[in-house]
Amino acid sequence: MRLSALSRPKTPQIDMTPMVDMAFLLVTFFLLATTFKTGEIVWVQMPRSVAGLNLPMTDLLTIFVDKDGRAYLSLTSPQARRAWLQRHAQVNQIQYTEDEYRAFETMSGFGVPSTQLRALLQTPAEERKRFKQTGIPTKVGDKNELADWIILARVTVPRLRVAIKADATTPYKKVEDVIKTLTDINVLRFTLITQPKKLNDDAGY
Amino acid sequence: MLDIDEIPNPNRLRRLGRVKEKPGIATDMNSMVDMAFLLLTFFMLSTTMYRPRGMELVMPVPDDEQTRTEEVQAVKASQALTLIALPDNKLYYYRGLPEVGGFKPLSYDKKGLRRFLQTFVQETEKPVVLLKPHPECAFENLVILLDEMNINHIGRYAIDRVSEPELTLMRSTGIPVPDL
Repeated sequence: MRLSALSRPKTPQIDMTPMVDMAFLLVTFFLLATTFKTGEIVWVQMPRSVAGLNLPMTDLLTIFVDKDGRAYLSLTSPQARRAWLQRHAQVNQIQYTEDEYRAFETMSGFGVPSTQLRALLQTPAEERKRFKQTGIPTKVGDKNELADWIILARVTVPRLRVAIKADATTPYKKVEDVIKTLTDINVLRFTLITQPKKLNDDAGY
Repeated sequence: MLDIDEIPNPNRLRRLGRVKEKPGIATDMNSMVDMAFLLLTFFMLSTTMYRPRGMELVMPVPDDEQTRTEEVQAVKASQALTLIALPDNKLYYYRGLPEVGGFKPLSYDKKGLRRFLQTFVQETEKPVVLLKPHPECAFENLVILLDEMNINHIGRYAIDRVSEPELTLMRSTGIPVPDL
């Protein structure tokens, strides 16, 4: 009697190839579908609401307001950002270099007065996180830089939607400044970005 | 024996033992499959199909103070409810016109604010709500108020500035209010 025949009982051979194919196909799909939240310019703890309006992923201008009331702007697509900066350069008679345009394209947003923008653009990408962004001012003399940027963005992107993403703890007056800026330039319809909450969840104060 | 012109069927040959099984390279795919499914599970769970959500806000056309005060005054006192959000998550309300004893506290939770608004909507014809956040109150407070407007289907509401006379009245009732 051959021992080897006994010790190795015949197991049914399953062809795993199609399963592996499927598994990798799905991996690839989810890998591509996942958008790892790419570095947003500033971390904002959004307030919660039951409102369920889905915002578009394109043609969206987001005004970030952090908890100290600093305003940042973020436009969705890189091409639009380039055109946006071109308009800004045109209006304010500033010449930006190709490298600076490219830097502006890669940044999802910014929050500096326009006098500091060049310094921010010239900062290498890896050090940009440490660049102290002081927010886009709403009042500089009689100029409202935030309003100017928004107007330029509206000219650049015809179907622009405007959203405000403010921190839950931001004092209302800071948000009011931004809303006032918007209504002054006739942006009367905009969205407050919130994170979802269930109807029965309590604010719990 | 096979005929010369017969196309040899490999399976038949194998059955007959004429062809020896090629040793081939039998890769053990188990670990690869393990990896694949591990990654699959990871990406499946980490993908949130994230889309930002928000609430739409439509502001009135900015017009001069004159027309606005007229509009506000056009609302009958019996229809109007004013909610004043103060810092530190304090909320007060008054019905109609502000008067000394008229300010009452309210809590933001659903037993307080929501239940109050439900009864207000039921017993009032054409209710109008004025939201007056204090400049120092948290933005979240305004969002909660707007949210409750949507939840209770109050179509007519406005965000307005809290006025100095109102605050003076509140102070005289003993409610601590920070300056504007």
